Amino acid sequence: MNRTLERILPKVQKPARYTGGEYNAVVKDRDTVDLRYALCFPDTYEIGMSNLGCRILYGLMNEQDGVWCERCYAPWGDMEEEMRREGIPLYGLESGDPIAGFDIIGFSLGYEMAYTNVLNMLDLAGVPLRSEQRRGLAPLVVAGGTCAFNPEPLAPFVDFFVLGEGEDVTLEYIQLFRRAKKENWSKEELLRAAAQIPGIYVPSFYEPVYRPDGTLEAVEIKEGSGAPEGVEKRIVEDFDSSYFPVKTIVPSTEIVHDRVMLELFRGCIRGCRFCQAGYIYRPVRCRGAEKLAEYGKAACAGSGYQEMTLSSLSSTDYPQLVELCDELMDYCQPRDIGLSLPSLRADSFSMELVQRLQKLRKGGLTFAPEAGTQRLRDAINKNLREEDLMQSVRTAFTAGWSGVKLYFMLGLPTETDEDVLAIADLARKVYFAWRECTPNMARGVRITVSTSCFVPKPHTPFQWEAQVTMEEYQRRVGLLRDALKWDRSITYNWHDPQASYLEAVFSRGDRRLADVIEEAWRRGAKFDSWSEYFSFQRWMDAFAACGLDPAFYAHRERGRDEVFPWCRIDPPAHTGFLWREREKCYRAETTPDCRTHCSGCGANRYLTGGVCNG
Amino acid sequence: MADRLLFSKTGRARYISHLDLMRTFQRAFFRAGIQIKHTGGFNPHPFVSIALPLSVGYSSQCEILEFGLIGGAAAEEVPERLTAAMPEGITVHRCYAGGRPLKELAFVDYIVTMEYGEGRPPEAEAALRQLLSRDSLVVRKKSKKAKSGYTEVDLIPRIRSWSLECAGDAMTLDAVLSAQNPGLNPELIRAAFCEAFPQYAPDYVWFHRRGVLDGDGNPFE
Repeated sequence: MNRTLERILPKVQKPARYTGGEYNAVVKDRDTVDLRYALCFPDTYEIGMSNLGCRILYGLMNEQDGVWCERCYAPWGDMEEEMRREGIPLYGLESGDPIAGFDIIGFSLGYEMAYTNVLNMLDLAGVPLRSEQRRGLAPLVVAGGTCAFNPEPLAPFVDFFVLGEGEDVTLEYIQLFRRAKKENWSKEELLRAAAQIPGIYVPSFYEPVYRPDGTLEAVEIKEGSGAPEGVEKRIVEDFDSSYFPVKTIVPSTEIVHDRVMLELFRGCIRGCRFCQAGYIYRPVRCRGAEKLAEYGKAACAGSGYQEMTLSSLSSTDYPQLVELCDELMDYCQPRDIGLSLPSLRADSFSMELVQRLQKLRKGGLTFAPEAGTQRLRDAINKNLREEDLMQSVRTAFTAGWSGVKLYFMLGLPTETDEDVLAIADLARKVYFAWRECTPNMARGVRITVSTSCFVPKPHTPFQWEAQVTMEEYQRRVGLLRDALKWDRSITYNWHDPQASYLEAVFSRGDRRLADVIEEAWRRGAKFDSWSEYFSFQRWMDAFAACGLDPAFYAHRERGRDEVFPWCRIDPPAHTGFLWREREKCYRAETTPDCRTHCSGCGANRYLTGGVCNG
Repeated sequence: MADRLLFSKTGRARYISHLDLMRTFQRAFFRAGIQIKHTGGFNPHPFVSIALPLSVGYSSQCEILEFGLIGGAAAEEVPERLTAAMPEGITVHRCYAGGRPLKELAFVDYIVTMEYGEGRPPEAEAALRQLLSRDSLVVRKKSKKAKSGYTEVDLIPRIRSWSLECAGDAMTLDAVLSAQNPGLNPELIRAAFCEAFPQYAPDYVWFHRRGVLDGDGNPFE
């Protein structure tokens, strides 16, 4: 380790996150590799190391001869300050070498509020922020993840974006880069060739043209660039045989998801209309139970983790869930390994499973009805009936649970005050169910209601919707708070609307917002998803300095024919389908899940033969 | 009687905190296929206990961990198997049945290296010798119990012996300090020196545990 680094580490909080050297971290010989990749996550080590996607890509890249992928996270403020003072540039955790000297710097973008950290990390690395300022082939700055589905706000900073699942395309562009390096291509030549790889969006080859009112006229393709009309996302078609990181890094310090993560399936059959993941990760592809059980056991034995979790967008929808759980329990129980099952639906089947898994500790249970009335739940296609929820909480209370958390969104399309007040009624019904069912009245009950402000997202049926204003959200919070004022067993928490407002701006923002991000960063913005650092006023000042109005992006309802900033990214579910879903929302009509009935979203085109198997 | 491990913690592993180190051992035993006793209760977990928590950033060649070996490996195999399952910087040297209780561990031998980036001031050595030769050296120490948040501690009675060597840009203090009830962290010696002689404050200080001793000054196992 670098001597200067050793001198500053004792001065900072949790230094173990800056040292590397964890079990299973991959160290290669610098002289035997010809491609060095910095896999960056624009948040803390604890959050970035919890990301399964990054673990997959890390394992996959390091399996390649001649490729060395290292990790890089955003240093917390105290460490950043020391690094800047001592002149230590951002380095890869495995080698300690500055990432500015790497071939490719890849960012995983999971949420909009991490955008300033991308800039801050590039700056800490000593890499020019804007693509056009980086003339050489290396370092090439690329980005993928959920946010890449509207890449425009970060367009000027990133050389290209990778759409969809990265397993195959990452290796493809790495191969391309190696060839470019060997044959001395210019950056322009490399980008032209990269644009031909399906799933890669090179923003500099597309030029947005604005109307006087600020909306888009078109996003034009740069002449002669050869860039495609639309970029189709990538998927791993055969998920069953796709790479799973059995041998994965075990951090030496506690991280957020400090356990084995078993990914059951990708995509989701439900089609909740507000949920971006439910649309952009289509179609559903499952991994077989046998294979999962084998991976789960091997991952526990290889990592020493005493906890395993099944992950997916809606675990109850995994067809072989019972068989898988039984098989895993046989392995876990004698070894005191805990098995947890998040993302369950509130139905009786799930409750049976939870009871079987959690024989000892009975902590809290979390349900997300999202809306208070059946009408609104139907409108957002959250196919959860009140009877199911009540049956689930009754089962839970009877079995001895004494805490339930209920998550809702305020500001959903078509929401009325009646819908808001119905949240209080629902919480009260849950409370009475507890009184009716609990075997131990003296222990009391904790019912927590949480609300957040709805954020319309690209590629969903609500991509045309306006977000409610922060004042309106606060008014609805006030309504609900008053309604719950006298219920002492019900706690009401609400999220601040400020971050949701900015999320709404950036999730559907255009390329002009890049200047705002840079301006906010220059004014000190970073770690915007952390209350320690977030300053709403700083963002408003940055918008004002750039002459842009955030309300234009958040509060404006878009017309049917609006040209979206992300129009060059082919929507995983066709726009016509999304529009029909939106109209059904206004009629409070539900759409059946994909297994019950195919609604023709178009995502079957990603599969050979064109048939989703659910 | 508990089984014990003797291990060292150096390099990048120095920055692993005490709690994280216990977790690391629990997982490493499992990875190495070595079965150890679990605690009872509602949340059973592998039992491990490390004597004398080491401050983050310090290195050591004499850490002791207590656990209960059930099976999966003979005691002689444990050091090699466990080291292979460890993060960089942790090496297990011995696995043996514990003898004397840990409370008989009375002293720790620390090597404190004080470095000067721009040349060692010649007077620093005499200053440190003078400081450690005082009859009493009272320092203010942060305390969770005291109302004021601070307590006063006399360092001298907790220093059993010391020697000082100077070479190049560094002063190296070899100090045998009281281990527990109450123990002395060598950081307090550094702090006292920097307070008394700010002009000779070193640019960087390394702390290393070289050995653990019983009340008679013999190696503790």
